Amino acid sequence: MAEPLPAEKAADIAESDFAEIVRRHQVMVYSIAQHFLADRSAAEELAQDVFLQLHANLASLKSDDHVKFWLRKVTGHRCIDYKRRRGLPQVALDDVPECAAPAEAGDPLLSRRLRQLVASLPEKPRLIVILRYQEDMAAEEISNVLAMPVATVKSHLQRSLAMLREKMTRALGEVTI
Amino acid sequence: MSVDNDMNRTEDALKRVLRRQPAPDSFADRVLARVAERNSAESGRGHRDSWWCVFVQPLVRWATATALAVALVAGGLHYRQVQYDKAERERAQGEAAKQRLMLALRIASSKLQLAKSKVNEINADQAGNREEKE
Repeated sequence: MAEPLPAEKAADIAESDFAEIVRRHQVMVYSIAQHFLADRSAAEELAQDVFLQLHANLASLKSDDHVKFWLRKVTGHRCIDYKRRRGLPQVALDDVPECAAPAEAGDPLLSRRLRQLVASLPEKPRLIVILRYQEDMAAEEISNVLAMPVATVKSHLQRSLAMLREKMTRALGEVTI
Repeated sequence: MSVDNDMNRTEDALKRVLRRQPAPDSFADRVLARVAERNSAESGRGHRDSWWCVFVQPLVRWATATALAVALVAGGLHYRQVQYDKAERERAQGEAAKQRLMLALRIASSKLQLAKSKVNEINADQAGNREEKE
């Protein structure tokens, strides 16, 4: 069930409501950008631009679910556009910086290597993997957000998983996931 | 079975690695500052462009379009008339020049006739004088 916005109609959202929306969704938007771009300053710039665009489009959004859907869609497309516009090279496995996440459970070496592998995926599969495992979205939801067939999303996910598993095994040799 | 287990472990590891990251400090404040900055810039531009809002109304838009179309047609007709008048003026000037040339040719022709008759008279006088001497 959609959580209602502070104001009943999005068209009536005041500046203070917008501030609440930013605070509520900033982690999601920033994280998608950060995981996709593997660049904190670029991720922040992109996330800010997404919220500026949201502010300009508030009148067309009707509920918090709608806002969340819109944010995921726009963030995803902007990530891909940003990468294509800047012509960023594919991230080399050893160049992906450590995230500012709190200490992780599990093997930190494995986590670092996996993060690097995700950053080395092609654009669309990377975004799909991020939406699937960061946002815990189902393939159907991802297909709606990215406007692509469910079968394509599932296919990207399966291939990405298989590739990640294979590369992890190869990279870490004896270490198993 | 082992492949399934590996897949599950990979998925678990992905969930762990791709969990949400905290946004930078004061992120929301910076977004709100940019929104305020943009609002104030748009407000300033809005005052400058306020006269333009008149054209948002459909009736005014249609009236403007009609006036522009009428002005274009009238301008076209006027231009055509000016071009026609200019051509007429040039044709009349050409005709007058032709008349003047014809008059000049007629005068020159009569002068030549006069000179020719004088020459003939002189020749006839000289021939008469020679016959008288002989």
